[in-house]
Amino acid sequence: MGFLKKDNFERDAFIGLIVWIFLLIFYFVIPSPGIHDIIQKVFILGLFAMSLNILIGYLGLVAFGHATFFAAGAYTLGLFLQSSIVNNLGSLSIPAAIISAIFISTVLAAFIGAICIRLKDIYFSFLTLAFQMLIYSIILALVSITGGDQGLMGGFPKPPFLGIDLGKPFDFYAFTIFISIITIVLLRQLIESPFGYGLRMIRDNPDRPAALGFNNQRHKLIAFIIAGSIAGLAGSLQALLDVGAYPEWAFWAKSAEPLFMILLGGMHSFLGPLMGAFIFEILNDFVTANTRYYGLVLGLVILSFVLGLRRGLLDWLLIKFYRK
Amino acid sequence: MLKISGISKSFGGIKATDNVSIELKPNSINALIGPNGAGKTTIFNLITGKISVDDGEIFIGNNNITNLKETEITHIGIARAFQITNIFSTLSVKESIKMALLAKIHGLNNMWDRFSSHSVNEEANNIAELTGLKKVYNTISSELSHGDQKLLDIALALALKPKVLLLDEPTAGMGPEERWEMIKRIKELWQKTKMTVLFIEHDMDIVFDIAQTIFVLQQGSVIAKGTPKEIKKNQDVIKAYLGGGKK
Amino acid sequence: MEIFALFDCIITPACLISQTAGGLKIGMLLFLVASGLTLVFGVLGVINFAHGALYMLGAYFSWQVMSITGHFGLAVISGAIGVGIFGLIFERLLINKVYNSDLLVQILLCYSVILILDDLVMIIWGDEFLSGIGVPEVFQVPPLFIFDAIIPPFHIAIIVISMIVALLLWIIMTKTKFGKLVRATAVNPRMLEALGINTNVIKAGVFMLGSFLAGLGGALAASLGSVVSGMGNSIIIESFIVTVIGGMGSISGAFLASIIIGMARSFGAVAMPLFTDGIMFLIMVLVLVMKPEGLMGKKK
Ligand SMILES: Nc1ncnc2c1ncn2[C@@H]1O[C@H](COP(=O)(O)OP(=O)(O)OP(=O)(O)O)[C@@H](O)[C@H]1O
Ligand SMILES: [Mg+2]
Repeated sequence: MGFLKKDNFERDAFIGLIVWIFLLIFYFVIPSPGIHDIIQKVFILGLFAMSLNILIGYLGLVAFGHATFFAAGAYTLGLFLQSSIVNNLGSLSIPAAIISAIFISTVLAAFIGAICIRLKDIYFSFLTLAFQMLIYSIILALVSITGGDQGLMGGFPKPPFLGIDLGKPFDFYAFTIFISIITIVLLRQLIESPFGYGLRMIRDNPDRPAALGFNNQRHKLIAFIIAGSIAGLAGSLQALLDVGAYPEWAFWAKSAEPLFMILLGGMHSFLGPLMGAFIFEILNDFVTANTRYYGLVLGLVILSFVLGLRRGLLDWLLIKFYRK
Repeated sequence: MLKISGISKSFGGIKATDNVSIELKPNSINALIGPNGAGKTTIFNLITGKISVDDGEIFIGNNNITNLKETEITHIGIARAFQITNIFSTLSVKESIKMALLAKIHGLNNMWDRFSSHSVNEEANNIAELTGLKKVYNTISSELSHGDQKLLDIALALALKPKVLLLDEPTAGMGPEERWEMIKRIKELWQKTKMTVLFIEHDMDIVFDIAQTIFVLQQGSVIAKGTPKEIKKNQDVIKAYLGGGKK
Repeated sequence: MEIFALFDCIITPACLISQTAGGLKIGMLLFLVASGLTLVFGVLGVINFAHGALYMLGAYFSWQVMSITGHFGLAVISGAIGVGIFGLIFERLLINKVYNSDLLVQILLCYSVILILDDLVMIIWGDEFLSGIGVPEVFQVPPLFIFDAIIPPFHIAIIVISMIVALLLWIIMTKTKFGKLVRATAVNPRMLEALGINTNVIKAGVFMLGSFLAGLGGALAASLGSVVSGMGNSIIIESFIVTVIGGMGSISGAFLASIIIGMARSFGAVAMPLFTDGIMFLIMVLVLVMKPEGLMGKKK
């Protein structure tokens, strides 16, 4: 077990496995569907927020249209499973649908990213926003395909594969968390690799890398594409959970959600956004159970983080207890 | 080694560089001097491809590098340290040097290794020792002293193992003692690495002490070049510096 | 897509005139709001995401005054002034703390204010649609017919009022001492401080003016439609579009862009009824890609 001492991929994969098994045991120890639901949502939203944090925390780019890829993943999965392809693919449908969802959001991210990364600062943010709203408008306009403002209705089949039946709550829980953890472990490898340090370098000082013979633009684009593909995966899982896809997922306000999570959890620690997703979900669950004025509470919480703590919770904890 | 022939550059009608020709011999150490705003930094920017050349050509050895991209020129063998320190604020000295080493070998596309355990560790260590940054090896760049930040900027350039090293006012903002220490270090580096060095410096004592050849720039043109002895006697230079010049 | 419908409209005077008038109305109302946003950005460097929420407040304030006094003019003016004062408090309390912060912090601060205000108005005024403040009596007359185009006189009034505001804004910014100070603050605040001028006062004044414009837009919008929580969430995006297309910080650019967007909406509704919004975003994308500094913005 020597590898556990070192910060490497094997250790992360091992920890991921342990966490997964722990959460499976937890499922049976605390048999509350409400809590299970929160946990799987935290992972889905966590993936969404962590993917955005590649751009915000590590690259220093305030992307304001990240929900584009979330929605692209969700709609692709939904449309795929509603189509007649499912009849031919049978039990392979779900994996194929998820892979298509990732593929489509990757392609979309490559296209949008290639155009956006040429701009800087607020112009970059505005262009990502504009693309997002353009996609949103297209979703609304293509009523016959997307269901327009009603969203993708009518449900879709979830044929079992490899003995996993996503129609069953436990299978869904185990599957979603498993996929999320794998992605998080891979993402950590990316962030801790030389490539990941290249991102930090651009964030710290975008002027200098060229004088080191380093191509910022290419690096940024690759990061943008990876971020988009993970958001697409998150969207496809969300669509599987809700058995549908909704245009609000492509609306600009949806892009603000992962920003909140990043703010709440912290953008400078790897798991910060995941923790943010956790706080966001708990807050959501707790507040909506007690008052209709969710926005008011969330707004006050965000305000106190922005002006009070001035950093995310995990960032704050790490500085206070660890990095002194 | 580096040959600049007749380059010019205008910014909105003002000639910042006017038909400048400079030739540096292999393994030589040279100074570029001139009053504030003479166009010294602009020449560095032109050589490194940070800005484009309007007219003229630049060669390294037999390579014509005129108007290539900054990244390409860097890979061909020119590295620079900046007048205003240009480093990575949240990365440590060690991390920064490793980044530069990896950039040199296109290693930053690597997604499968861990940066922390990557093989360039030893080389990074050598460069830190060479530049005297070993004592602050794990310090975050933004927390370094001004002098160490300047050194780190140079270390980043050294990590690229350039054929030609350009240093833009390496002693700017330093006290007299610190200055001489820096100069001693640069001289040592030059002797050890056998690079061709071109540096910009305002302190004449320093320039006369270490430069083999000096190029004097005024209002975008080279008005004199020669050994320290020749330059000291040159009437144009005396006029430029003593009569009317800002210095 | 109904390209022929657009073509038919353009060659029919009635349709052409009514769509043009409609586009101008939309555009000029949009200008009121967007000019405030671009002014604040140009001088303070802050993208005020909460600008749409201020617009909403303007609508509620004017609705409130209308329901008490029944006086239209008073309702609109107090809506605008009320939001101006609210903006001043907002600036002193919150916005001035993030002038030098990252874009992300500014966005999040403003967004939290949107969330809070959207709920606060629901708590105060209920979450039902309020039926707006309606059109003042003088304008409750039969519409004008120009070449068979039906044009409500009140729409003309809105266009005229907005044009007057645009003119006043132009005079304030170019001819008055305040305008000179504002422009100097945008370019070099240090210099002004060295001259003993308190730039905080100018900044607060600019923010107040920007809020006033948002409030005025909201109050006038309340006369055309209903008042509801969240009504600022689409106008803010449209204002962003105008700000970007016109050039960030450029008021004359915002004027031009507002008219472009107004027309795009009005004629877009004829040509592509389902994709009217999409046309605006397409224009925004194209401008950002081809001329990021906007039609009348300064190149960085
Ligand atoms: N990117 C640019 N755009 C416009 N003008 C520029 C640019 N870069 C330099 N200049 C102008 O060119 C002239 C030369 O500037 P440069 O920085 O090369 O001078 P310098 O000799 O390095 O001066 P110093 O000793 O102050 O560093 C100056 O007048 C400067 O304002
Ligand atoms: Mg210089």
